[in-house]
Amino acid sequence: MAGFLGSVRRRITPQGLRDAQQDAAADPVVRLLSDALSADRVRIDGAHRSLHGHDASVFDGGVSGPVCYPTSTEEVQAIMRIAKEHKRNIVPRGAGTGLAGGAIPLGAPIVVAVTKMNRILEVDVENRVAWVEPGVINLDLTKHLQPLGFHFAPDPSSQQVCTIGGNVANNSGGPHCLAYGVTNSHVLAIEVVLPSGDAVMLGGVDAEPAGLDLRGAFIGSEGTLGIATRVCVRLTPNPPAVKTLLLSFASIGDAASTVSSIIADGIVPAALEVMDQRITQAVENYVQAGYPTDAGAVLLAEVDGLAESIEVDAERIAQIGREQGALEVRVAADEAERAALWKGRKTAFGAVAQIAPDYYLHDTVVPRSALADVLEKVYEIAERHDLTVVNVFHAGDGNLHPLLAFDARKEGVLDRVHAAGAEILRVCLDAGGVLSGEHGIGLEKQKFMDEFFTDDDLEHQNRLRQSFDPGCRTNPGKVIPTGHSCADIAALKRVSNEVWV
Amino acid sequence: MDLKLDDDDLNSCVQCGLCLPHCPTFRVTGDETMSPRGRIQLMREVQYNDAPVTSEVVDAFSTCVQCRGCEPACPSSVPYGHLMEQTRETLVDAGKMTPRWQQLALKPLANPRLLQTGSAALAVVAKTGLVPKRLGLPDKIPVRQEPLTASGTDVLMFTGCVMDAWQRDVHRATQRVLEAAGFGVTPTSDMAPCCGALQTHAGMTGDARSLAESMMRSLSQGQFAAAPILVNSAGCGAAMKDYGHLLGTDEAAAFAQRVYDVSEFLADHVDKLEEAFATSGGKAVDLRVAVQDPCHLRHVQRVHEATRVVLKPFVRELVELDDDGLCCGAGGAYSVLQPELAGQIRDRKVSVIEAAAPDVVASANPGCSMHLAQAEVSTIHPMELVDSALNPR
Amino acid sequence: MTATRALEVNDPALLSFAEEVGERDSGLVAVAGGRTRWGVGGALDPAARVLTAPTGIVDYVPDEMTVRVRAGTTVAELHAALAEQGQRTGLPERGGTVGGAVAVGENSMFVLGRGRVREAVLQVRYVSDQGRIITGGGPTVKNVTGFDIPRLMVGALGTLGCLAEFILRTNPIPALTRWLVSDNVDPFAILDTVLQPGAILWDGRQTWVQLEGHPPGVEAEQRRLEAIGSFTETKGPPETPTHRWSLKPSELADAAQFGDQPWLASIGVGTVWASQPQPHRPLDPGVQALTDRVSEQFDPANRLNPGRRPGVSNPTGGS
Repeated sequence: MAGFLGSVRRRITPQGLRDAQQDAAADPVVRLLSDALSADRVRIDGAHRSLHGHDASVFDGGVSGPVCYPTSTEEVQAIMRIAKEHKRNIVPRGAGTGLAGGAIPLGAPIVVAVTKMNRILEVDVENRVAWVEPGVINLDLTKHLQPLGFHFAPDPSSQQVCTIGGNVANNSGGPHCLAYGVTNSHVLAIEVVLPSGDAVMLGGVDAEPAGLDLRGAFIGSEGTLGIATRVCVRLTPNPPAVKTLLLSFASIGDAASTVSSIIADGIVPAALEVMDQRITQAVENYVQAGYPTDAGAVLLAEVDGLAESIEVDAERIAQIGREQGALEVRVAADEAERAALWKGRKTAFGAVAQIAPDYYLHDTVVPRSALADVLEKVYEIAERHDLTVVNVFHAGDGNLHPLLAFDARKEGVLDRVHAAGAEILRVCLDAGGVLSGEHGIGLEKQKFMDEFFTDDDLEHQNRLRQSFDPGCRTNPGKVIPTGHSCADIAALKRVSNEVWV
Repeated sequence: MDLKLDDDDLNSCVQCGLCLPHCPTFRVTGDETMSPRGRIQLMREVQYNDAPVTSEVVDAFSTCVQCRGCEPACPSSVPYGHLMEQTRETLVDAGKMTPRWQQLALKPLANPRLLQTGSAALAVVAKTGLVPKRLGLPDKIPVRQEPLTASGTDVLMFTGCVMDAWQRDVHRATQRVLEAAGFGVTPTSDMAPCCGALQTHAGMTGDARSLAESMMRSLSQGQFAAAPILVNSAGCGAAMKDYGHLLGTDEAAAFAQRVYDVSEFLADHVDKLEEAFATSGGKAVDLRVAVQDPCHLRHVQRVHEATRVVLKPFVRELVELDDDGLCCGAGGAYSVLQPELAGQIRDRKVSVIEAAAPDVVASANPGCSMHLAQAEVSTIHPMELVDSALNPR
Repeated sequence: MTATRALEVNDPALLSFAEEVGERDSGLVAVAGGRTRWGVGGALDPAARVLTAPTGIVDYVPDEMTVRVRAGTTVAELHAALAEQGQRTGLPERGGTVGGAVAVGENSMFVLGRGRVREAVLQVRYVSDQGRIITGGGPTVKNVTGFDIPRLMVGALGTLGCLAEFILRTNPIPALTRWLVSDNVDPFAILDTVLQPGAILWDGRQTWVQLEGHPPGVEAEQRRLEAIGSFTETKGPPETPTHRWSLKPSELADAAQFGDQPWLASIGVGTVWASQPQPHRPLDPGVQALTDRVSEQFDPANRLNPGRRPGVSNPTGGS
């Protein structure tokens, strides 16, 4: 992959290896961490440190310090206290599926992987909530709730692997957040271990928890304000009926204007997803879901709720589609067909490998009315940079995911990818859009933050950051761009030291 | 060092992580080094960045069950199984990884508990020739049973090493079911003693190749030249279907085309079985049966639906296990080499089985059956269920 | 990196509001809306200059389902303009301003159907303790660009910044709204019967249910309700008593705690309007300390809406 191939070859001498091993073994922090957890859950070997330098993004891997696998709030507190005492930085990590580099460690920090904190602690049907640990996988939670008639509404494309803790950190969305709302609407309370080592409960199950909405401020903070150790999520009743429509169009512009018309009509579908022809072909090749591969674009529209009501909405959507020139309007005949269509949509990004070995997935939001215009410019930019772009996105809320597919082994391609990416981002901002709809800022978009916010705005975001993490030790160097204190720590310079100790 | 991995294969992984929950070792450890994505990244570190092959790196590779549950989950179609086999082969050849026969020989002897649990697998590998005779292992193979006899030449029934020694009754049942469907059956017996799957997984590819070549020679003669080769052990079937890749010849690829899992084959002939069922006055087996999909049937051969098609008319109730076909931890010799992980993986499977509350678990792979049986799960081969419906005692 | 877009706010109404708030040395300031919840969060320091926020709907594009509105606009005026396009927001309609509704953060009685105030705010502009106009959040319905400042402003009583302008999410007004009342239904069974009611209110004797949606859906829900109790159509719920309680939904069953006087409970939500105040609920000391640090960061001189303390329950009543 791009980041990997872009990295520098590292060579070690036997003497260097011995020295490094001694250094790591002699590090007092490692001993303290091992005492607080257990030796097998504090890893300093090269394999662990190397792998925890990456997430699912295209950015050059960083270098992890000790990798800790806590199993309780108390252990997370112990890690935080040791880090504080010894002025070490902390990077929390879930499943490592982030696409903005939010979990990439800078400056060899302690990486806290919450994957072993994966218990569903309580399902409280009376209050319609569940208490879970941060390492619980999104789809596992939904499957666990299924027999009770509920689910966890945020459903990012990575839901089969991403963790609830990661969803909280990124305020994750997904196709169905169009109607149901993003993670912020589905998390009522969070137990957070602050950088001080104190554990606090933010929010609550009661109707209007007293005080500031610190819960809301924590969600989407990309691991910079502390580590979530218990999360109270809302249970959403499973809709008694679902209808999934597949509409195909001659052009992606027709699909986009259909989306605008549907929303303008006062319909709030559960999901409205668009795929262009290239990605439709790749997906169809992978899942054989029956997507039309000759259409310029397909729109996947889903309505759910009462059988009596969705009938009305589905008919209206079909009608609007035809008015907008749909080539075909098809309603998924059964659950199998519906599941196949969704499988195709949710694995779309991976299916890109059939087009090129590497990809760079963008994430921006534009006003729905600007979708068709912006998409046209996106194709133009890609062409000018001699890159392949595919578009598959959450059209209902204007959340674009232009995906640049390329082969990183080709000379100079990465520069073109980054140049095209920056242009696409600016086109979106010019159209009244925002930098990210659901992937977050991470490392990826820091440098664009001052094209969206003023210095004063950023200074206020930093105030929030400072009130949680005055030492700037928790996931430092993320979100807030260089030049605003928390990103400015000298220790964050890319460490070139040897990870294979 | 150069792991001799294909550049395109190694670079086809985009690190999306969708494989993670489908990997049994990641599931029970939550450790990235024990995930397909992590292992591929380590292969890259070794092949491209000269990362040293430390004990942790070797651990990461040797803890892989090779269930290949990650492959169907991978939208980029990364050939993970082949990458892992090649990695092991290179590391074994370079003396960086201990060959499995050595591990097998040394581990159980040093540990009485392991000796007991491992003896079954040991006996198997002893028969396959994985363990040199000079180690003087006790012969655990059961006394000779009644030989299988041919009833015709419509199909070949691959009998293999493990099953022929341990579960010859399964072969008898399979043969009766095939005969009920109207096929004359020739058991391969000594014509094809072993498919070479365990050798391939252990990185002993050379041995595997010669076993494959010898099998191809003997099963392509005269009257058998075009006969379908039916396999009732998922691991063997998967290995034999991969001969084209193993040997890299057109001839091997053509041979592999003749290989079917027995359920895969019978799924197209269920009507004949149902006819036989009706005329013989058989009775559906009065059990709630959970289907456990052997990884090499579901993730590698991807023909697990056939088991359901074939079983459905002949049992009272079929239930699914709610774990997306996650591995049970048997993994050939894996349960002996990595007893702790294999146990944790099995615990997970057992709790899923308990949730489904079946009377019996149908598994089309002897390794899975033996591994689950050790956790007191009652298992049976699907062919035995169909057979007892057709031929009630 | 040079900015190509005009990021600085140039709305004269906001600029003059910022000037009124002034810099750090400009003394104590407070912002008054409709004064409908004036007592919430403790008494205002009488030394504070009381300002009003700028008014007016700035930009409303119904197709985008968003509206940009200045904080001093009344919710009634906003909702009237939205209703012309068949839309509404999740803000409560109790006579106050948009800024007041966000600052206080109390939800409408329609949380089940329309969501919470905190979910309605997409972007916020406020005047900082230094008299600067700050923007948090963004204009689109989905956005994770930077920290979630809008969430922090909801319920902060203006202590972190003087609220000036918002972009709010709007929602379509359903085709049909119907209130039903019953005196023999188990109010706690309704949530398992109706998929998405607008509200379920219970006063210990009677239960009011609001159904919304397409007519066939509402009819179907009503039929399901009638299987668990007898219902008649009604105009709406009774007046809500003065004091506001916040409980877990499961805690509502214990009606004795609300006293002898009239009360009304929001089933499935946990809000109770009662005739007596809720027993004091102090913040957890750790949360209080964190709250104090946030206040210290955003307003070190404690000059914005001084005397107000988020989380302090309403001592004087007043609705």
